[in-house]
Amino acid sequence: MRVRILRQESPTAEPYWESFCYDGPTETSVAGMLDHLNFHDDILNDAGQKTRRIAWECSCMQGTCGACAMVINGMPALACDTFLRDLVAGRPEEEIVLRPLSKFPVIRDLVVDRASIQDNLKRSDVFIGSYQPMDDESFSHQYEAAKCLKCGLCLEVCPNYTNGNAFFGAVFANDCYLVHARNREKSREIKQTYARHFGSACSKSLSCMDVCPMRIPTIASMARLNRRVR
Amino acid sequence: MREALVIGSGIAGLSCAVRCAEQNMHVTLVSPHPSERAQSVMAAGGINAVTARCDEGDSVACHIEDTLKGGSWLGGKTAVTGLCTHAEDIITYLESIGTVFTIDRQGRPLRRAFGGQSHKRTYFCGSSTGKQIVSALVMEARRHEAAGTIVRRLHLHFHSALIEDGVCYGALLFDELRRVLVPINASAVVMATGGQNALFGKTTGSVLCDGYAAGRLFMQGALLKNLEFVQFHPTTLETDQKRMLVTEAVRGEGGRLFYEDGGRRVYFMEEKYGPGGNLMTRDVISREIYTTGREVLLDISFLNERLIDQRLQEVRDLCLKYRGIDVLTQPIPVAPSVHFFMGGLAVHLNHETSIERLYAVGECASMYHGANRLGGNSLLAAIYSGWVAADDLCQRADTRRRPVFAQAIAREQNRFAATFDSQSSFPVTYMRDMLADVMNEHMGIIRTEEGLAEGVESVEYYQSIADRIHYDPSVSAYANYSLTGILATAHASLSCALARKESRGAHYRSDAPQSRDDYAYSTLVSYDDGTYHTWLDREQAYES
Repeated sequence: MRVRILRQESPTAEPYWESFCYDGPTETSVAGMLDHLNFHDDILNDAGQKTRRIAWECSCMQGTCGACAMVINGMPALACDTFLRDLVAGRPEEEIVLRPLSKFPVIRDLVVDRASIQDNLKRSDVFIGSYQPMDDESFSHQYEAAKCLKCGLCLEVCPNYTNGNAFFGAVFANDCYLVHARNREKSREIKQTYARHFGSACSKSLSCMDVCPMRIPTIASMARLNRRVR
Repeated sequence: MREALVIGSGIAGLSCAVRCAEQNMHVTLVSPHPSERAQSVMAAGGINAVTARCDEGDSVACHIEDTLKGGSWLGGKTAVTGLCTHAEDIITYLESIGTVFTIDRQGRPLRRAFGGQSHKRTYFCGSSTGKQIVSALVMEARRHEAAGTIVRRLHLHFHSALIEDGVCYGALLFDELRRVLVPINASAVVMATGGQNALFGKTTGSVLCDGYAAGRLFMQGALLKNLEFVQFHPTTLETDQKRMLVTEAVRGEGGRLFYEDGGRRVYFMEEKYGPGGNLMTRDVISREIYTTGREVLLDISFLNERLIDQRLQEVRDLCLKYRGIDVLTQPIPVAPSVHFFMGGLAVHLNHETSIERLYAVGECASMYHGANRLGGNSLLAAIYSGWVAADDLCQRADTRRRPVFAQAIAREQNRFAATFDSQSSFPVTYMRDMLADVMNEHMGIIRTEEGLAEGVESVEYYQSIADRIHYDPSVSAYANYSLTGILATAHASLSCALARKESRGAHYRSDAPQSRDDYAYSTLVSYDDGTYHTWLDREQAYES
């Protein structure tokens, strides 16, 4: 199986493609495959040349932390949660293409700096303050929204999100919803913040929901936040 | 200005940082990754508390008793009393910051039964309790970040503490982006770096928790405690990439363990221990599964589908995704795996280590759980320990003269920079994997003096060569420099297990299967220039 990876040695270096031959188990995830490629005396590319080990980020290895978000065969996904069996589906000649998330600065290879996610939430005051929950807010939707991994997959796929300077994406909308649900006094203010950094520019492609590893129904957050400010 | 440096941003670190900020202490919260990557998000089951709405007959005294008993009477009564007494405040607090607990029709948080406990007192959030708490705490920390009382710094790994004459003045951190060591001064340093998973390779936890910080601090003079007590979670699912935890909640909801014998299902836990057999403590179940010598299965197929989807949805998803098992029709194959470390940095009741002004909270500290931890007590202890450390350090003035560490820092910096020049392609992972083999072989569920001594010998050998090998610099520099500290934690752990010539809680010696009264104390271990010295804490200097 051929694996092509977009690599970059440092934040300022030029990216380049490098291919590898993978002969490890196929009943594994992309994360397992990366581990396998890295775990040899030397790491060789498909031309047999010695190269650097592939940098990628991981923590939980079970799809609950969001560390290993990357673009796999054109789709933003978690490496530990994407299985080779689904990617090649009986076609072992199929190539697997990995690249880092493109909407964040690259640190090294598949590792990117996603600090802008947290920075945007901080600079727009997305926090509860005092806890005064709305009477009619669904606990089950709050539970879903609070599962957000801050992995950035929703931003990668979003046609409206570019660099996070003005439009903050689905990850932002879901946290705004949590503030709205938990502090009725802050509801008006957070809806305005939401409108400024999300509602006014979202073209409703809803691709964010397709790639969300937690399957968060962001559209439900949007519906609640789009209700007229009372 | 007084300033706390909190290292690690999981639940314990976040709780400590937020509590300090509430008391107007300025906090620098450092971690290599954001809180969402912390192992805390993987804690599935729940958090124990006796509240005003407790089961009939339950009380804080019962919770204390269960915790002490579960820990085979090694936990300190004063410490455990503090933990259990504050549990209701912690649940109230978590609700007040928006933690989405699973609720009943009246909107009140529900409780479930958990192993080793006399009453149903485990509050939970579906099967992602840890994640829900992290989400709420992150948002609360953000409030203080916006106010400037908490400053978060990412991409920083712990390197070492700045210590002089047994007093801590800050820490040296490795900046991954700039590839340099960065000193941060502080009135107090709080370690919240998690357990030592890397000692055993594949575990249920995060690969980021490796035991380096504890090992490095140990080599700098901090005492470690109770490292022999390693909890094996009895029900984990083997997959190619890791051991997936099948939460105890599955058994709390009625799941039954069995093995097959000639087409007959043998419910071995129920046969041996009665109807509550599936909810025995984790060490008992782990040993029982291990001694069956057979494939053990966990059955929940008889449970109502709606209940499974409401309360155990993540378990259903996990089995299907990683092993293609549908829990509605098939039992889950389970085996024990390393899950939690009761041992860690020795801390006093205020969570200060043996180094003045150096605190430890959460799993990297050894406190409350004694020889074994009850399910649902780790999230509780993570938050409570964060609070205790915060309250203590906030009321301490800091009028000390700060020593100059410039020379020592420059020396470390030079040594460190030299490792980048290595031409070697030898991956440090090889060393880690060899260590994990040694630990799994000699410090597993059942141990012997001979095996542990062999383990020490192997680790001593790795230690003797670790500094002489040049490693592949194309991996993270942290992975390379952390090896020495990880090996020290491993050596200390084996030493503790060797010294405890009895069986107690999670530590089982087949050559000494009984508990002994003269060992009813915690083990302490110190490091002095390559010498590992262990003794029993008979004076209860560290946990009373």
